Amino acid sequence: MGERIAFAIAAAGALGCAAGVVTLSNPFRAAVSLIGTLLSVAVLFLLAAAPFAAAIQVIVYAGAIVVLFLFVIAYLGERPPRIGPDPMGRWAFLMATGVGVLVALGLIGLLRSHLPGMRAAFAEAGDIGSPRAIGMAFVDTHSLVFEATSLVLLIAALGAVLLARRAVLGERGR
Amino acid sequence: MTPALAWITLLAPLAGMLLLVASGGREPSRGFTRLVGVGSVAVSFACALALFLQMLGKDDHERALVSTAWRWADLEGLRIDLSLLVDPLSMMMMLVITGVGSLIVLYSTEYMGHDRDYRRFFAEMDFFIFAMLLLVMAANFVFLIVGWAFVGLASYLLIGYYYEKPAAVAAAKKAFVINVLGDVGLVLAAVMIAREVGALDFATVFASAPDALGAGSTVAEFVAVMLFVGAAAKSAQVPLHTWLPDAMEGPTPVSALIHAATMVTAGVYLIVRCNVLYQLAPHASEMVAIAGAITLFMAATIATVQEDIKRVLAWSTVSQIGYMIMAAGLGLYTGAMFHFLTHAFFKALMFLVAGIVIHALAGEQGIDRMGGLRRYLPVSWVLMGVGCLAIAGVPPFSGFFSKDEILARAWDAGDLGKVLSIVGLAGAVLTAFYMFRMFFRVFHGPEPEGGYDHEPHNPTIIMTLPVVILGVLAVVGGWIQIPTVNHGINTWLDPSLLADPGIEASHATEWRTIAMSLAAAVVGIGVAWMIFGAGGGRRRIEMADRFPALRRFLLDQWRFDPMIDDAVVAPGRDLGDTAVARFEPRGALGIASLGSGLATGAGRLVRASQNGMVRVSAFGVVLGVAIVAVAMILGR
Amino acid sequence: MGISLMYYLLVSGGLFALGLLGVLIRRNPLLLLLSVELMLNGANVALIGFSRHWNSTDGQVFALVVMVVAAAEVVIGLGLIVAVFRQRIALDVDGMDHLKG
Repeated sequence: MGERIAFAIAAAGALGCAAGVVTLSNPFRAAVSLIGTLLSVAVLFLLAAAPFAAAIQVIVYAGAIVVLFLFVIAYLGERPPRIGPDPMGRWAFLMATGVGVLVALGLIGLLRSHLPGMRAAFAEAGDIGSPRAIGMAFVDTHSLVFEATSLVLLIAALGAVLLARRAVLGERGR
Repeated sequence: MTPALAWITLLAPLAGMLLLVASGGREPSRGFTRLVGVGSVAVSFACALALFLQMLGKDDHERALVSTAWRWADLEGLRIDLSLLVDPLSMMMMLVITGVGSLIVLYSTEYMGHDRDYRRFFAEMDFFIFAMLLLVMAANFVFLIVGWAFVGLASYLLIGYYYEKPAAVAAAKKAFVINVLGDVGLVLAAVMIAREVGALDFATVFASAPDALGAGSTVAEFVAVMLFVGAAAKSAQVPLHTWLPDAMEGPTPVSALIHAATMVTAGVYLIVRCNVLYQLAPHASEMVAIAGAITLFMAATIATVQEDIKRVLAWSTVSQIGYMIMAAGLGLYTGAMFHFLTHAFFKALMFLVAGIVIHALAGEQGIDRMGGLRRYLPVSWVLMGVGCLAIAGVPPFSGFFSKDEILARAWDAGDLGKVLSIVGLAGAVLTAFYMFRMFFRVFHGPEPEGGYDHEPHNPTIIMTLPVVILGVLAVVGGWIQIPTVNHGINTWLDPSLLADPGIEASHATEWRTIAMSLAAAVVGIGVAWMIFGAGGGRRRIEMADRFPALRRFLLDQWRFDPMIDDAVVAPGRDLGDTAVARFEPRGALGIASLGSGLATGAGRLVRASQNGMVRVSAFGVVLGVAIVAVAMILGR
Repeated sequence: MGISLMYYLLVSGGLFALGLLGVLIRRNPLLLLLSVELMLNGANVALIGFSRHWNSTDGQVFALVVMVVAAAEVVIGLGLIVAVFRQRIALDVDGMDHLKG
């Protein structure tokens, strides 16, 4: 029972804060709202026997990534509100409909699903989320994926450096 | 007879051409070009001569050699081999082509000596000899047509040899277009033969044509007429003759070899070769004879007013080929070939002498700017005199025998023959007149006003020797068949003529014709002497003034060019203009723009989605996912 | 009574849909990136839920890889935003349409 209460609170927090991210016009507030979502999702991870993923979620996601966001928002400062009407105005209704249709489809798919044990409570979890299990999985079965992620990060770092450098050059050129 | 010799005869000039073409991007040394250019033709001539000697040692019925390299195509029983036929008829052509060809190529080494495209000239000459040999040595219609088209190409290349001259380029184009017209006729005839006889090699076609086509049938007439279209285009017969005088834009040796001695007689060869088919088509044969007679008379009249030495000779060539075609149409195949032989000698001779004159006067071709050259070029004077006497039909020069043979036998070849014989006689008067008009004006008479800028110079031995040899041949060439004495040509060609009607002139006709030809020659020469020779040519002005309309008409060459322009070129151009104005925008472009319009419309639709807005793209992803999801749910 | 996979999937779908809505309606590229983070988290919740359901580590490994990708994406995205900002261009994704057809 305690698990369900914890899940309900975390789920409500995640979805509520997500709604804040989408609706708040101030980027700073939206970013803070995202932290709420990320922390709530970390709780969901914990409840699903994934303590390592939850820790990474808090440290890397909520810690590093969102801080980077806040940093950029602070650097860019307050932007004047956009002038002029939304050029996508006439599409907005269509877009909302599209998303609605997608959600409805997802719900239909979910409710009609015959996946065995989908509606039953989880069985007793084995050792699937400990750092040891994750580490073994990475170096054992998924070593190639592990190497690929390192490559992705390297490329991202290079890209960031390049972008920053070009921006600096562009400024100097003026 | 050795087949290898036949193949070497054919392929030596081709090898020479390839060697010249392949000898590097730089111009090779003149010595090398000379050696290859002349050597390859000489080798060819030597092999032909060896074949000839071998053939002489055989009996009549063993004198045909067919050598097959390989089967070229086998289409539903229609077998086409790459094979050569060497028989008395093609032997005769081969000897003239390679023999006269060697002499003329040798002459060209000097004549073209100052030209910077020395190598190109000899490569093209070698190619022509190869093509001409292929034409006469082919053992079936397919390779005959290949050779036929190749000589057309060689002629085109050599007429347009001086490609910086617009007139030369235009003449080359004209020759090519008209020749292609003839090619089409030839191809149509071949297709018809393949359909009706089921074979294309000469032996089978001529053996089974009488049964397969039937004498006097429409098909036989059609085939004969279509063959004549080819022959008329190649041999410059009315109304497809207009290209030959213009072809004089090419170098003089080219005119001598291609447009006098060999290529233009290909039509005569074709008709003689297909004598079986023409004997099956009496109406077509009559048409051929009449066309030849019209051509010989018309060309002779036009030649009387020409002011360019080469054009006089060109019209004379058209006229002389008219004699051959007329003879072939009347069934006098041996007469046609005899005249071909003597004409090859004396016309090549006269062209080469004309070349010497032109060379001596640094390129001057107008006979107005000539005169009194007897004093400067005595050898040429003698040689040109020999040529003129030969063509005018004065015994014992070669032309007398061959022309007399045609006229005498024509007289005894039915009513049409009588009429045409008289036309031929009239042509003979004109021939003697226009040849000696040229002769007197060039070599006799006063020098042109102001004299010559440079003293006309005699050529070296390289240029003189071939001309002298041809001169000797022009004298003695006719002695192989002297009326009532011997029948060299008739017996020689007999194995090749499967359907020779064997028209022979009676003794009475023979002697009467000899007398009349002699009279014709004497009258022609006499009139020419009176107007142009005696008294320094004062009377020619009077003559020109007396008949201005006739003179104008002849200078316009019987208005054939404007007539063809009006009848063919102008309607064609109008049709093209109409098509461009009316049909093209709606028809051709309409269809095309339908396709492009569809593509543009589709593109415009797709373009609307590519408006560069990130969110629209994202929405596209959403839509796609939604569609896939629906498909998955429904598909389950 | 425990928690079933169904709940996880519902939460996952909700997060994903909200993020998608954000991507479609926000015009500030910063907020766009935040919305993309929401969608990625929605996917991660589903992955972790399945991992728990099948009692397997693979789903969690996948979720961690997604986080790496998210980190890389944020670095590049923010780098672009800063570069665009330095060019004095208004921060509006609709204005960035140079690839228009």
